[in-house]
Amino acid sequence: MAEMVANRITDIGPPKYDEMWPEIIKNNYGKWLHHEILEPGVLVHVAESGDKLYTVRCGATRLMTTHMVEDYCKIADEFCGGYFRFTTRNNVEFMVTSTEKLEGLKKALAAAGNMPIGGTGHSVTNIVHTQGWVHCHTPAIDASGPVKSVMDALFDYFTSMKLPAQVRIALACCLNMCGAVHCSDIAILGVHRKPPVIEHSHLDKMCEIPTTIASCPTAAIKPSKVDDFKSVAVNADRCMYCGNCYTMCPAMPLADADGDGIAIMVGGKVSNSKCMPKFSKLAIPYIPNEPPRWESTVKAITTILEAYVSGAKRYERIGEWIERIGWERFFDVTGFEFTKRHIDDYRFAATTWRTSTQFKW
Amino acid sequence: MPTVTFKGKTYEVDEDGFLQDPESWDEDFAYYVKEEEGISELTDEHWKVIRYLQEYYKKNGIAPMVRIMTKVTGYKLKQIYELFPSGPGKGACKMAGLAKPTGCV
Ligand code: SF4
Ligand code: SF4
Repeated sequence: MAEMVANRITDIGPPKYDEMWPEIIKNNYGKWLHHEILEPGVLVHVAESGDKLYTVRCGATRLMTTHMVEDYCKIADEFCGGYFRFTTRNNVEFMVTSTEKLEGLKKALAAAGNMPIGGTGHSVTNIVHTQGWVHCHTPAIDASGPVKSVMDALFDYFTSMKLPAQVRIALACCLNMCGAVHCSDIAILGVHRKPPVIEHSHLDKMCEIPTTIASCPTAAIKPSKVDDFKSVAVNADRCMYCGNCYTMCPAMPLADADGDGIAIMVGGKVSNSKCMPKFSKLAIPYIPNEPPRWESTVKAITTILEAYVSGAKRYERIGEWIERIGWERFFDVTGFEFTKRHIDDYRFAATTWRTSTQFKW
Repeated sequence: MPTVTFKGKTYEVDEDGFLQDPESWDEDFAYYVKEEEGISELTDEHWKVIRYLQEYYKKNGIAPMVRIMTKVTGYKLKQIYELFPSGPGKGACKMAGLAKPTGCV
């Protein structure tokens, strides 16, 4: 076939995971004995052979230029034999094999100014986040902006380990929830508050109407003829502004500067330690979008964190703390208003209502 | 709206080259996409897929799922890719004048 497929290389997959291992990892793979957190952001792993691997974890912005990556490479070349890695929360880790190199590495990172050491143990580590206004077409909020604002405010928690347990914060700019907002200790979620605008004149040309109808979780969309155009109608009383129809149909935009904002959720976790994994639950239904610093959002998160620090027992994640003290107490200690919006009303809602006389005044 | 002109005819397309209005499709548009996709010749097999997609879209208002398309046309996904190097969505649906695929593609 034509040029397009000539010499085309396909299905080669990623490079094998061990190709970029430092020597010490290659030698001790599967033979680690124990590890220790030496200080915030610094780990040591000890192998059966006696080999010691020191890891320094640095905060990163996730969205970064090639220049930033080059800066990482330079540090890695100087101290780590050219090796470094990214974590599942988009921090950067540099690894060395001796304490002398460790000290040099730490100094170099501090000198860099944009490679803060931290994120280990009972800290607030990096915020898992999404595209926001940088790249996606369905966001209700930005991602990089709020993340920068929140991490600025919580920076002290990144570089220390003084929380009862680790606190995972995640952000998603729409309820597609790309990432981890549904399972994080604190979650920042972009929400809309107005139904989609329907562009009747070209909806049928750009959209598959049946797909659009089927995309609605509350069956608010039905086919409709408007001014001789084949289109759809949205029953605003049934619409809860999820924006799923816009994902399927470009002729139904719903982003709105005044309507859009942030919902805060709390109490999710993915680990199995002590209790089962949990979904995060609604704490604040709406905070307005406040670019560029999102002050109210930052304040709400700080409030949650401070209440948690003063109320939780050691090793208790936010969700475990709230379940121990009860949700009514959570609203008490944070001062957040409890509204009808907090009460689940979707399909299996009844399973989340209280069917007991146990509660605290 | 961007337009493309091919064999003296002008078509309204979006930035990815999908027809803005399925009604404006004609065979020449398929030949335009063929050039764009670097397909050397439109064979009967190509036309079988194009016609099937159009027929299904007309009847159901949606593009068929890949499994339905392969089952009815008898071409395995691998063969569809041999015919349309960009695949059933960006290749075949575009050539057939169907609406651009949406969702988290
Ligand atoms: S969460 Fe929504 S808006 Fe954000 S990147 Fe994912 S799909 Fe796009
Ligand atoms: S925004 Fe969500 S609830 Fe509203 S019509 Fe669209 S799909 Fe349905």
